[in-house]
Amino acid sequence: MSQSATAELVLDADDGHRLNRRMRDAIDAGTREIRVVNPRSRHNLGVGQHGPGTIRFDGSVGYYCGGLNNGAEIIVSRSAGWGTGEAMSSGRIEIGGTCALGTGASMRGGTIVVRGNCGPRTAANMKGGTLIVEGAVGYLAGFMTHAGDLIVCGDAGEALGDSLWAGNIWVAGKIAGLGADAVVVEPTDEESARIHGLLAAEGIDGTFTFKKVVAERKLWYFDARDPEAWLKV
Amino acid sequence: MCGIAGIQLRHGGPIGSHLVKMCQAMRHRGFDSTGFALYGDPDPTRLILRLRFPDVSTWVAGTDAIIAGVRELGGDQHSEHGVDDAVGAPDRFVRLQVRYTGDIRRLAVMVDEVAPGVELQSIGHSLEIIKDAGDAEMVDARHHVSAFQGSHGLGHVRLATESIVSVAYGHPFWAEPFPDVSIVHNGQLTNYFTLRRLLEQDGFRFQTGNDSELIAVYLADKMSRGQTFYEALKDSVYELDGCFAYLLSMPDRIGSAKDMFAIKSIVVANIGGDVAMATEEQAIRAVYTEELDDTQHPDPRSVFVWERDGRVLQEIV
Repeated sequence: MSQSATAELVLDADDGHRLNRRMRDAIDAGTREIRVVNPRSRHNLGVGQHGPGTIRFDGSVGYYCGGLNNGAEIIVSRSAGWGTGEAMSSGRIEIGGTCALGTGASMRGGTIVVRGNCGPRTAANMKGGTLIVEGAVGYLAGFMTHAGDLIVCGDAGEALGDSLWAGNIWVAGKIAGLGADAVVVEPTDEESARIHGLLAAEGIDGTFTFKKVVAERKLWYFDARDPEAWLKV
Repeated sequence: MCGIAGIQLRHGGPIGSHLVKMCQAMRHRGFDSTGFALYGDPDPTRLILRLRFPDVSTWVAGTDAIIAGVRELGGDQHSEHGVDDAVGAPDRFVRLQVRYTGDIRRLAVMVDEVAPGVELQSIGHSLEIIKDAGDAEMVDARHHVSAFQGSHGLGHVRLATESIVSVAYGHPFWAEPFPDVSIVHNGQLTNYFTLRRLLEQDGFRFQTGNDSELIAVYLADKMSRGQTFYEALKDSVYELDGCFAYLLSMPDRIGSAKDMFAIKSIVVANIGGDVAMATEEQAIRAVYTEELDDTQHPDPRSVFVWERDGRVLQEIV
């Protein structure tokens, strides 16, 4: 294997032409460590990447960072804007600061870890994988989630798990309000151990008492003429 | 799509060049037209009229006619007017300074009557609106926006979706007949015609069919009826239908409001007493290149007011 397999490749986002393509090409050529300097909150950084390899952004990123990720590890040292890791299928994304709206929306697999807070609509339409938020999440977290685990170590906003289909939401802090068809159930010891294992794997120590939120499944089949069943807004 | 930007400097400074950089960083959001609302030192003895003559052949006679009209209304020219120096352009921009203490509506109507076709881009003691076709750097090249020093201002990049592509329909808008009020807006109103009819029944005129102009007039009307700036913004969240994120500015403050679903983004950054807001954080980073420690994405129904003295009012209504 060539020298580039071990050396870290440094890219400057100020010279952003075909930046995502250059990252992909480098990983295809055997590079395993890429560092991107001067991201300056730009959008679409690290979209469509695949593994194996680690891409580090030194600073904050804008909207849609790490979208469509397919196996790469993407580490952002500071904060991210809307739609982080949207529709990713595998790999790992770590955000050192906070995330805005729609983190992990429609993700199908892999892991997202956010060290700070997340905004509204976190894990909306999530279809698999694990999304860990060390801080709090905004309103409508887990909206229409189909599968996977959304784990929130802090508080959750209004309408948590609204129209949840399947999948699990775990909240250690306070829940401001549940959405339509979302209910809190008691987790088993095995389930709790599994979640703490996922946290430990991401270096998050401590014992949390999680509330588990799942679909009550009343909306799986319902009478549209009965607004009590679904009309909560 | 569109992008909006605002900046308020604690000690004043190069707001023109800051807004050009912010808008250029959002060029991809639209470059049908780009515009700036700039607030310089207010002078109560002087009104600045920003005019655009779409037909360059009419500007000399039109300007003379407007000056004569001002005199007829009891005012006078304050100092020599400025004219843009673009060579070969089909249109001409004029910056007119007048002494006038009368009714602003009469002044605006007079301008329309004596110089048919002219576009009155702004009237203000402090406010100057500069808007033209193209991206921020193109507008700056022709109108020297970067040279403008002031306390605060707004910027807008436009991708026309709801109405025609033209300079007149570009943002910012001023709130005829209220001087020194300007708006930039990202979104669409769905109760535009209803509100416009109501305002027209009260005697308001609209220069364009652009829904964003209505927000400025609607809010200024509320303030003229005794509401505070903050109260007017809060009312707008429930009285305007559609999706919107807008910035409204007056000589002492900038305000913002978002609709109840908040799908149009705004990022607000506080930087050592300065405050900057934009549709995208990277626009703010075009001016404040270091990492930002204090940013927020306002929630749905959020209303903010940033006073020039540093006070901030905010609420989710």
